[in-house]
Amino acid sequence: MFVLEYLRKDLVTSVTVAVLVCLVMVIVWMLVEHDIQQRRLALQHPDAVVQLKRHYHEIQADNARRFASVLALMKSGDYQAAFEKLKEINTDHGDSAYGYLLLARIEYKLGNLSDTIHAYRQVVDKDPDYVDKNTPLFIGTEIMDVITEARGKLSRERKLKPGDMKIKTAIDDIYYLQRRIAGGCE
Amino acid sequence: MNISKVFGSAIITGILLGAGSVLLSYLGNPVNSGICLSCFLENLAGAMRFHDEVRMSYIRPELIGFVLGSFGMAIGTRRFRVTGGSSPVLRFFLGLFIILGCAVFIGCPIKMIQRLAAGDLTAVAAVAGLTAGVYVGTRYIRAGVVLDRPAPMPRINGYVFPLFAVLLGLFFIVKPAFIVFGQTGPAAMHAPALLALVVGLVIGGFAQASGLCITGGLRNLFLVHEKTLFLGVIAALLAAFLMCLVTGQFHLGMYGQPASHLSHGWTFLAMGLVGFASVLIDGCPFRQIIKAGQGDVDAAIVSLGMLAGAAISVGWSVRATSAGPTFGGKIAVLAGLAICLVVVLSYRRVRRASP
Repeated sequence: MFVLEYLRKDLVTSVTVAVLVCLVMVIVWMLVEHDIQQRRLALQHPDAVVQLKRHYHEIQADNARRFASVLALMKSGDYQAAFEKLKEINTDHGDSAYGYLLLARIEYKLGNLSDTIHAYRQVVDKDPDYVDKNTPLFIGTEIMDVITEARGKLSRERKLKPGDMKIKTAIDDIYYLQRRIAGGCE
Repeated sequence: MNISKVFGSAIITGILLGAGSVLLSYLGNPVNSGICLSCFLENLAGAMRFHDEVRMSYIRPELIGFVLGSFGMAIGTRRFRVTGGSSPVLRFFLGLFIILGCAVFIGCPIKMIQRLAAGDLTAVAAVAGLTAGVYVGTRYIRAGVVLDRPAPMPRINGYVFPLFAVLLGLFFIVKPAFIVFGQTGPAAMHAPALLALVVGLVIGGFAQASGLCITGGLRNLFLVHEKTLFLGVIAALLAAFLMCLVTGQFHLGMYGQPASHLSHGWTFLAMGLVGFASVLIDGCPFRQIIKAGQGDVDAAIVSLGMLAGAAISVGWSVRATSAGPTFGGKIAVLAGLAICLVVVLSYRRVRRASP
């Protein structure tokens, strides 16, 4: 009652309040209608998790297609030929995280630990999903296994060749990979 | 024990902050990042499309909880006082540079405490930097540097920031199309939303009542040898340490620590900037958010500056990664320190000119 009396007394306030109420009602009505429409549209499309699964499935299928020849050579145990073939594909199609992952695995089989570690770093730099446990691409365990093996060997080599920059870079790469696999908000 | 004394105890707030931070990490938030204002603001900026890194886009319910917990406590204890008008533009930019400093360390002062409690020795340089920055700031305060005095303002100004938090809460529930929630990376790492909100509300309420502030604790210690807030900071560290031991999150070492780097000099300078600027604007990033909830319009402006800083740090890559600080991050830290010095110089001059 008091409010109504107050509004009757002051015309400017009454008009302002009336317009404000109308505006709020229009906004609420528009938001509700928009939300109903959005929900209807969303029903026609798969949700984000399904889309994401499909996205990773497509990436994996595309990688398998693109690097089929390299994978076949690796399976047959001819890692030198796989290395050459991978170089060829990378020259034609450009670098990719999966290409570096195959490079890391080949370098490991060829016994080049420093190059393996560096290739893993390239993988993580190109696509952080490879160290994200929430994605099917996760290879953190594989990298940690290689790091565990490499750490001791590289430390010994560093003592023998203290000025060798390649070993120093490889040790830096190991620390970097450890930090990335440990997680955190990055 | 008097209930208001419990709420107003910096030590209890510190225990809640330290334990809550580790608990949130344990329940799903990124490792060593249970509570980190700079990370939360980077996530929020991404969710609002202020940067395009989807992996860092999420509305953290803890952030909403801090603001609304502080607002509720301030209203409940009749301490909701609306003031503002103290050097707003300077505060905005100092807030922005504080977050850039945090981005170069990879964490705010609260995360620094959690990292240290979890055995991350790279945080030692951050503690040294923050302490040095706060010390330098207090020396300037002693020399007469104080930003303009805030004045009382109409109450509606104080309601804006809590309403913004409510709006973020609605965005979190409704998930409109323009809000982005990342499905991978840090965005996908989060504690259960309701629990995160409750932890935020409780810590926000206690922090409002006690006035706990990481840089404020150090500032009071240096300036007037007053230990109340500092004991709260120590309590946060000890609580986080014990929780890390209990939950198996303690890993002592320098290498292989999550979201860290080995550029200790830049860490020192970055947290030095955070400490220095926080003293000038009276509070660390966490305290600014809490004050914004209790009607402090200046703190709300700092918080908006921090949100802008969070967007810039990710969008322009003015930050650090596990590989170390970027070139932009290094420049931002030095520029931030230079701006702090310009501010203190100009405010000393103003004071001298005053009768």
